Amino acid sequence: MSSLLIVRGLRKGHGERLLFDIDELTLDTASAYVLTGANGVGKSTLLRILGGLETAQVDSLVFDGQSFSLHPYPQALRTAIVYVHQHPIMFSTSVAQNIAYGLLARGEPKALVKKTVEEAMAWAGVDYLRDTAPARLSGGEKQRVALARARVLRPRLLLLDEPTANLDGSAREGVIALIPTLIEQGSTVVMACHDRDLIGLPGVQRLKLRDGRLEYRSRSERNIEP
Amino acid sequence: MTLWEATQHAFALLFSGDAALWHIVWVSVKTSVIGLLLATPPAVLLGYAIAMHRFPGRRIAVWLAQCALSLPTVLIGLLLYLLLSRRGPLGPLEWLFSQSGIIAGQFVVGLPVLLAFTLAAVQALDPRYAETARALGASRWRVLTTVLHEARYGVMAAVISGFGRVISEVGCALMVGGNIQGETRTITTAIALETSKGEFAQGIALGIVLVTLALVMNGALMLLQGEAHTAGGRA
Repeated sequence: MSSLLIVRGLRKGHGERLLFDIDELTLDTASAYVLTGANGVGKSTLLRILGGLETAQVDSLVFDGQSFSLHPYPQALRTAIVYVHQHPIMFSTSVAQNIAYGLLARGEPKALVKKTVEEAMAWAGVDYLRDTAPARLSGGEKQRVALARARVLRPRLLLLDEPTANLDGSAREGVIALIPTLIEQGSTVVMACHDRDLIGLPGVQRLKLRDGRLEYRSRSERNIEP
Repeated sequence: MTLWEATQHAFALLFSGDAALWHIVWVSVKTSVIGLLLATPPAVLLGYAIAMHRFPGRRIAVWLAQCALSLPTVLIGLLLYLLLSRRGPLGPLEWLFSQSGIIAGQFVVGLPVLLAFTLAAVQALDPRYAETARALGASRWRVLTTVLHEARYGVMAAVISGFGRVISEVGCALMVGGNIQGETRTITTAIALETSKGEFAQGIALGIVLVTLALVMNGALMLLQGEAHTAGGRA
């Protein structure tokens, strides 16, 4: 399987303190990863760096065979990588306009945007929220709208920060059920999480941040050491 | 004339459609609105820029913006007077003792209020709005319009506070405008003059207009913010 992203020498510190120092992070095309680790170890920060929302020191970064620097964050990565917050925030427009946001920012034709948004609302099961003020959505609904909002952009790499945190019951299941279809559409998905059900999704590889280092566990190793 | 008589006379002036009185109101509202319209775009953009970016000297910029809020308007008037007087660098504009001069004054008086309030509103906004916009590929300009849209009630409050400041200030309008009857006489300069002459009726009438304007503007803001709350939005 070809590599989508290879980052070498990724270092991030807050003031004097070094948060992490990662020798190498490799993500394959159309693969799924969970990123685990204790609270405060820097899972969110790592995803935010890859998503261009925070800065860090990087020795080299290769995306889809091309070298990039992280500063300033290149447009090619901006188009290919989408980060979704742990608690996604909704723009105070409408659910449909939230999902259309990225497509309109890209200047896609209105008719195509409308069609894509309709499909995405059906995919995420949020058709019935069409006329609801986005601020009134529940946590699970917000997460599903946020996934649809990211999915319509067909990102090569989707970064999900604890997508099921603080969700329970059917809300949590609703979100978990959407994740495999994201991988099927060809996106590489990295999820920071504690959720056992996400870690247990078929074909998901595990990355673990511990003491500022990234431990990479391949699928075969995972079978031996769950 | 007793206070009671003066007040009765004031209402008579208001409801008889006294031309001189309503012309003063018109000059005040016109110069305030134009000054504010000119000040709003640069102030909002500057407030946004300071709120959203980390740069050396940022804290100094915030400090200066806050300080400018408490600058006495007579001082701004003095500064503008020197700039606009015949020998001043802006003398050739011939704005001294004209409505253009008052508008320039309202611009300078209103700008810091708008800037500081916009800065506060954008700074108080959840950073995830801008992050989400960027993560979804928005250009700088689209991030700006998105963030200002989310902070719209704060920005509206900034504009209304700015209006309150410019329409009620007296020092700058008096020095730069010159309080010329039928030309540059505004509500506040007229009140100051009429009171000094012992003519209270027109002063009281204009005071009533000023208070009514304040009530209407702030009432409109409250209504808008109330709607924001019931819609689940942020004030």
